[in-house]
Amino acid sequence: MLIRCVDDLISLSVDSPPDAQALAAHLRKDDIWVEVVAGIDSVVAQFDASTIDAATARRRIDEALAEGIPPPPGREKLLEIPVVYGGEYGPDLEDVCRELGLSFDEFVTLHTGNDYAVDMVGFTPGFAFVGGLNKRLNVPRREQPRQRVEAGSIGIADGRTGLYALASPGGWSLIGRTPYALFDANAVDPFSIQAGMRIRFIAIRAEEFSQ
Amino acid sequence: MTITVLKPGLQTTIQSSPRIGLRHQGGAADPLSLALANRLVANVWDAAALEATLLGPTLRFGVPCAFGIAGAIAAVTLNGKSVAFHETCFAAAGDELAIGAAETGARTYIAFAGGLDAAKVLGSHSTYLLASLGGHEGRALESGDTLQLKPAVTEKHSTPDVFRPPMSSSWALRACASFEAEQLPGDALETLFETNWVVGRRADRMGLQLDGPRLDISSSGRMPSAAVFPGTVQCPEGGLPYLLSVDAGTVGGYPRVAQVIRADRHVLGQLKPGDHVRLLRREQQEAADDLRAKLDYWGEWLGDVEQVI
Repeated sequence: MLIRCVDDLISLSVDSPPDAQALAAHLRKDDIWVEVVAGIDSVVAQFDASTIDAATARRRIDEALAEGIPPPPGREKLLEIPVVYGGEYGPDLEDVCRELGLSFDEFVTLHTGNDYAVDMVGFTPGFAFVGGLNKRLNVPRREQPRQRVEAGSIGIADGRTGLYALASPGGWSLIGRTPYALFDANAVDPFSIQAGMRIRFIAIRAEEFSQ
Repeated sequence: MTITVLKPGLQTTIQSSPRIGLRHQGGAADPLSLALANRLVANVWDAAALEATLLGPTLRFGVPCAFGIAGAIAAVTLNGKSVAFHETCFAAAGDELAIGAAETGARTYIAFAGGLDAAKVLGSHSTYLLASLGGHEGRALESGDTLQLKPAVTEKHSTPDVFRPPMSSSWALRACASFEAEQLPGDALETLFETNWVVGRRADRMGLQLDGPRLDISSSGRMPSAAVFPGTVQCPEGGLPYLLSVDAGTVGGYPRVAQVIRADRHVLGQLKPGDHVRLLRREQQEAADDLRAKLDYWGEWLGDVEQVI
């Protein structure tokens, strides 16, 4: 494992998103870390450089690794996310279907026909990177990102589905939107989707969006 | 017990401490100036205060109130009379406080004795605009808003000269080469640290575009997204660095070529479009020593400054 330190940040490289989530969850048990952030194939832990030095932090990393990394919790949970595909909620779906040579129905069948795993949450808070997209649905990022993508929007890019918990700029092709509350500021855990969860998309009609 | 917003300014928000453990969600862009303003009215360093961006608000006090101002230099008047920075000021009910445009620096902080009475969300009063969370209804102030005060009395305080941070349009930020620095071939990394960069027009609480020579980055194309922090300098394929600020996202897919060291991250909130900025290269131990020296220095005036810087 490649471990490197830059100022108050220690980066650890791993093989896969589940490994990153497992390592991050393991490190978070030690309150020495100010922040622990999982990436796709890395984890960065931030230490408080006013109280400990890099050598001490590094030693704590080695100790944590020596304990062994338990598998991450939460993988048994399956969350069903209702989605209105296309139309005003998924303004890029028509273009995406044309590019992929699929009909609207074929696209929806393929996209709802899988259970997915949440690889990572981040970029903007709560933005979920959902892996395992059917290879026939692979499109690149949009050349021109949008200044504003509405909360609940669902996009695809680079073999992943992305869920926008908050309105933000965004460069993924928008295929639909969910009425499911991805963010609730008043909840104990304000973001409903966590890395490691399993997800299934369920197609609903536009009339059902507000119900 | 209220303050009425007569003019909101460009982007005035209630700010306090950052959300630790939820790092990317709000907090003063320049926490040192927030702490200095609160110190003038005998508040804790992170009592909820106003952060005015580039053009400040005009406020009317509903009650007598002591306030203190620090951060970006702007013309400030109380009922038309000039108000000094870094001195406790006393307003009477009905008085109008007007904060002008920032001349040097980007963000001016106005702290009120006792602090503003804002709800705590996820452990902080700070406004996080992206999620419409915290502060005053999760948004920047608008004309007609009323802010609640938690009244308190205070003596007059004055920040000693040596603890008044200089504002400038030309900044130096100490930084370490970061995790993907090796993707900049030797002279490109030198260029990163030797260029007098200009802060571009795209500059907000999320990050700042730096304009200058395009860096010759040999990126493999698609980097797996990895953790980023305030002060991370990313270099997209286009070659112009992007300096992440206080509301940076948590991960990004561009090579991380440098990292502004903790000692200087509080400065990020004062950079504005058109300012010049240089990155001064530091090694690991130097960065740790810089932080210790800065904490020791500011600790003399602000006390436990580890939460601030």
